[in-house]
Amino acid sequence: MRGTWPLILILFALIGLPAIFLPMSVWASVMLSGLTLAALFFLVASGLSLIFGLMDVINFAHGTLFMLGAYIGWTVYQNPRLLLNVAPLFLALGAGIGFGRVTAGALSVPRAISGFGLVGFGALAFWNHNLGKLVAFGSTVPGGAIPTPLAQEPLGLVFARMAAMGLAGLCGGWRMGGTRSEDRYRSWGMSAGLLLLGILMLSGRELIERWILESPGDLRFLLAVLAGTLAGGALGAWMEATLIRPLYARPIYQVLLTLGLSYVGVELVRVVWGPGNYTPLPRPSLFAMPCLASSIGEWLSQGCASLNVLGRPFPTYRLLIIGVGVAMWAGIGLLLRWTRIGIAVRAAVEDREMVEALGIPVRRLFTGVFAMGSALAALGGVVATPFLGLSPAMGLEFLLQAFIAVIIGGMGHYGGAAMGAFLVGLARAFGDYLVTVGIALPGMAEAIHFSPAIARASTVLIMAAILLLRPSGLFGQKTG
Amino acid sequence: MERIGIRQEALSRGSVFRLWIRRYRIWLAGLVLLIGLPFLLSGIFGEPVESGWPRFLQGLLIRVYLMAVYALSYDLLMGYTGILSFGHALFFGGGAYVIGILLKHFQTPLLVALLAVILFALGISGLVGALSLRVRGVYLAMVTLALAQAAFILSEAADFRQYTGAEDGLQGIPVPAWLDPAEHRLRFYYLTLFFILGAYFLARRLVNSPTGRVWAALRENEERAVALGYSPFAFRLLAFMFSGMLAALAGALNALLNKNATPSLLSVNTTIQALLMTLVGGVGTLSGPMFGAGLLELAGYLFNRAFGPLWFLLFGLFYVIVVLAFPHGLAGAWQQARALHRGPSRGSAP
Repeated sequence: MRGTWPLILILFALIGLPAIFLPMSVWASVMLSGLTLAALFFLVASGLSLIFGLMDVINFAHGTLFMLGAYIGWTVYQNPRLLLNVAPLFLALGAGIGFGRVTAGALSVPRAISGFGLVGFGALAFWNHNLGKLVAFGSTVPGGAIPTPLAQEPLGLVFARMAAMGLAGLCGGWRMGGTRSEDRYRSWGMSAGLLLLGILMLSGRELIERWILESPGDLRFLLAVLAGTLAGGALGAWMEATLIRPLYARPIYQVLLTLGLSYVGVELVRVVWGPGNYTPLPRPSLFAMPCLASSIGEWLSQGCASLNVLGRPFPTYRLLIIGVGVAMWAGIGLLLRWTRIGIAVRAAVEDREMVEALGIPVRRLFTGVFAMGSALAALGGVVATPFLGLSPAMGLEFLLQAFIAVIIGGMGHYGGAAMGAFLVGLARAFGDYLVTVGIALPGMAEAIHFSPAIARASTVLIMAAILLLRPSGLFGQKTG
Repeated sequence: MERIGIRQEALSRGSVFRLWIRRYRIWLAGLVLLIGLPFLLSGIFGEPVESGWPRFLQGLLIRVYLMAVYALSYDLLMGYTGILSFGHALFFGGGAYVIGILLKHFQTPLLVALLAVILFALGISGLVGALSLRVRGVYLAMVTLALAQAAFILSEAADFRQYTGAEDGLQGIPVPAWLDPAEHRLRFYYLTLFFILGAYFLARRLVNSPTGRVWAALRENEERAVALGYSPFAFRLLAFMFSGMLAALAGALNALLNKNATPSLLSVNTTIQALLMTLVGGVGTLSGPMFGAGLLELAGYLFNRAFGPLWFLLFGLFYVIVVLAFPHGLAGAWQQARALHRGPSRGSAP
């Protein structure tokens, strides 16, 4: 196999050498930290790599999907009223775009009118919109800073905003132009579904909010994970279908577009949720009790927050992150290996035209893989919130590490992305360990201490080394 | 050797000069306008040149000129050589930090500091180019973005706080008194005007030189250029270094103007600014991106006052719309519309 020797050398440098020089307990905890980071990097990198392999798009907005997943999950858990009042507007926008594109051919509205309509209705929908009250210190507490009925606008007003947003979407859809006729019924159905979902969310907002806030923490967490992942997947599918699809003929503009979307995502988060950082979510009950378990059995029976690993405490929640990462790695690997869809995806990575000629709807495959990759990134984001908290910068941060992972592994190679994420995670963990303990060179009185930022930036060195030695990555064949 | 041609050779020296003036009369008029603009403004507002509105507008124009050079340097990479780099902020911000650190912490004379900026820019752009040119196309965009982000992280790192000021940035860069933009804004205005003209003519000259032809050849058909014996790596690296140098000088002057250098100069937002200015003005036209820079700087200033922080979101949405709907920039879209208006025979294919 290509790349065996460098891989063995790097693995030895990252696992073997520290195992020799460090005490066993330190080595184990650094390894576990590395695996935690690796799991998160993998969730971002795998989607990035699959999307590139299949459709040659590098999605610079992938980190943003990770971040949006995290923010949406956090909001479902802590501040559902924000989501219940804002999400219907965007659902209406999506529905409007869908209806507009289906009817564009029949109506042929002048572009000037639809353009003014898009901007005008869009501005009207957010006219005097008071986001600040909805966000209100980040979370809804029963009888909190601003009670829910005061923070929310009257139902009728929000419905009016929703209508304006739908009309804006309609104008946008008219401008974008028609869908293909065979997709027509699906477009109608999907748009109607979006609209219905928005209306239901908005009309039941008091009920849904109370139900979420009164549920036990575990159920809320599960809801957050589900909502974040589904929203990420839906957003990815929407992005591919409406924004990226028109640009397959112009690959450079695709990249420019996704970079712009990543910027828009960060600014959107800043506007809606504020520029500050948020504290981590409460952990589910299995990882929440303030005790130190000495064995796995004790942890599972008592739900301790940390576990004794060879004499050093290790936060149990990180084991969940590792578990999710490994499960997704194995699950997607099996899906790609054994299912018909997986076989079609792998074949399309090799030779897209041939697969298309065999009658497999490659376009739909594109949307599906894009949605799946986005959902994976968003899942990573939600799962990371009890561990890292939230900040508008987290998207780019994880995108950077995922880039380094896919460059190491080789673009478009699923196993390569996993291996790359593993290596970057380990390197980060050892880097973090080194900068806190300090690096003592022989002949120096005191060790040099750095901040973790140095460890974050220095993963770029691995990327540089790989680019110099093997530009196509350890496993890759494709260099774009 | 035969460039001038026989017909022009027969003309006398004076008439060649007159021809030259007639050919470039719009540009020359523009140049005269830019030179006289501070005094024109002071006449319009009825205030002295160095105070009030004229002074404020000079500041805005200085900023436009610097961003125009930054956009120009990006167009050399993206438009002329066909390199899609997402790490241009590294050069702009790098230049700002180098001159700031040298002036503030090492009390270097200004000219030495500017020389150091050039050397630094050549070094760092050579390094970035050498690494990223190992791969191609969108892959290169990814590598350059990763390198620039690493620099951004380092600029915010607490370890170098005494030099870079970490996340607060480098504040209060001491600018020599004779060039202080707060005291002698007019001087600074002419310095940047000289800078933008020099950068433009240098870039135009280079693009029209044999080297520039090879850049275009590499962009259009790499295999053919290789077959003719040109090394793609060497020529692209040259483009990287020249572009990086111009961007770093623009960044350095920007630092002198604001007397600070902040991590946001190194962030991906700065790269997106370069991209948008280039796209709006028209890729591969050199002067287009400069006008794009002017448009965006002025619009950005007005909208920033009107919308506050929401402006950044609108800026991003505007960028997305330009990428989706105006692949040839606003100027290109206007030209196309005009061509269509004149008659279907002149309508050009997109």
